[in-house]
Amino acid sequence: MSARPPMMGNVPPASVPIAFFGAAAVGLVGFGMAAWLAADKIVASPIYPGTLSAVHVAMLAFLTVGVLGALHQFAPVIGQRPLRSVAVARVSCVGIVVTAWLLPTGFAHGPEDLVPLGGVIGATTVVLIGWNLSGPLGRGATGLPVWGLRCSVTFLIATVTFGVVYAFNRQTAWFPLLPHRVLAHAHLGLLGWLGLTYVSVAEKLWPMFLLSHRPSDRSGHVGVWSLAAGVTVLTPGLLFGQPAVAWPGGVLVGVGVIAHITSLATYIRHRRRPLEVLHAFVLASAGFLLTAGVLAALAGALDVTTVARTRLVSAEVMALTAWLGLAIVGHVHKIVPFIGYQVLRADGVATGPGGRPLLFSDLTSKRPAVASLVCGTTGGAAMVIGILTTSSATVATGAVLLSVTGVITTLNLVAGPRRVRRHARRAVAPLPTNSTTTTTVGAST
Amino acid sequence: MMNPIADTLVVATTIEALRSVYDPELGIDVVALGLIYDIDVDGDDITIDMTLTTPGCPVSEQLPAEVSQAASAALPDAEVEVRIVWDPPWTPDRMSAEPYDEFGNPTFLLPGTQVGVPRRHASS
Repeated sequence: MSARPPMMGNVPPASVPIAFFGAAAVGLVGFGMAAWLAADKIVASPIYPGTLSAVHVAMLAFLTVGVLGALHQFAPVIGQRPLRSVAVARVSCVGIVVTAWLLPTGFAHGPEDLVPLGGVIGATTVVLIGWNLSGPLGRGATGLPVWGLRCSVTFLIATVTFGVVYAFNRQTAWFPLLPHRVLAHAHLGLLGWLGLTYVSVAEKLWPMFLLSHRPSDRSGHVGVWSLAAGVTVLTPGLLFGQPAVAWPGGVLVGVGVIAHITSLATYIRHRRRPLEVLHAFVLASAGFLLTAGVLAALAGALDVTTVARTRLVSAEVMALTAWLGLAIVGHVHKIVPFIGYQVLRADGVATGPGGRPLLFSDLTSKRPAVASLVCGTTGGAAMVIGILTTSSATVATGAVLLSVTGVITTLNLVAGPRRVRRHARRAVAPLPTNSTTTTTVGAST
Repeated sequence: MMNPIADTLVVATTIEALRSVYDPELGIDVVALGLIYDIDVDGDDITIDMTLTTPGCPVSEQLPAEVSQAASAALPDAEVEVRIVWDPPWTPDRMSAEPYDEFGNPTFLLPGTQVGVPRRHASS
């Protein structure tokens, strides 16, 4: 143990991001269970209530809540200014979690009023989130990740606005909810909000995790800006069913995706550290992104039946979900330990189990992390394959594996800090003295 | 009045103290990592110029605070100020060739990685 270093000014208390990450873990387990229960419907129709419910658990309860946890931690570090309000961050966490479970519950089995209620709570929460993040991401902050995050938060607000309109439309029937309109919403959320956030933050995280300094950041810039521009064009193209607009948008998104993958490749090429489990997560995740790109291109270009196209698009959405999901699960193996590290250091814990200075790597175990990687990758792949082959058993197996991934990851990340604390307590525990072993021999005789 | 010998001792003491501050991601102390660019002594005032491996790194607030605390603990009468500088930017070439694995850390660098010497304190 050593003297306590002071807690820092810009980053929020650890309880803020940890609350988001804990809720996201529940979301991942819940997504696996929802998809397992609805497996036979998922392969039959993407708009069946059970399918819709599982998709929204994935998008909101897992991905959105997880990414918001990372944003509340990273935006103040990247922008070098604190959130506007920690209290609002806590309210936002409650609000988004409530939204994330109200909407799927309403979709799955009603009552129908839960859907607009969830929409209103979600919209209010997102306004609060936007206001709060405008502190660190506002005027004065610079750099590619900052610009990327500004765009992605704007896309978040747009996605939720779409969602609220769609939620009320279920009762008012202002317009028919045609497949291309649903797709506009899905791609705005997956690529504009979640994808762009990841692509932007990766440009900050990868050089650190790989100890990599590249001669040029061009691919990173192209990745962020092409994705942002592409989603801006693709969404109205899909929304209004205009292929002449959607295609250029899709091509721009494709350029962004390729640039993002190129950026990863160049970071790996210029790395100064050996690859570790995190990077296996990132590479597997990138594989799902490429798969999604191929499926999207096939769905758009092939002259196939509506049923076949729907299957391709559903598999593409699942592949995008696996891309982001694996990236989140991989990165929390880094992010949660450094949040835990700061808490442990503030509590005076300075050494790890080996007696050496406390490191991030002391706060996770490798084998469970590898198990998470294998389960997550296999689960995601099984769901994509199951959707493509209309095999509900394969989808169900993949869904269970995703739930298991959530459980293993959570246990691993919770156990690490507890192990370090136990060691620290043992290291400072006073040795037993003779006085504690004094017996009363005389009295007994 | 300037006292070069005393100042040199203060710098040496500070550097020694900073060797106890570790980058928790890499497991290397901030001196060996080449993050300490300059230590300026002016009477009781010590100004430490340091950088980070990348702007906005997760320990961008934790590490400077630990540097300040370590220097203050080693020199209780001193007023320590830590300044974060980004020019020149840090690169892995700034790492010293000292053994990093005294605590049993596995070798973290790829074979063949170039290592250099921290800019100013190589001889300290």
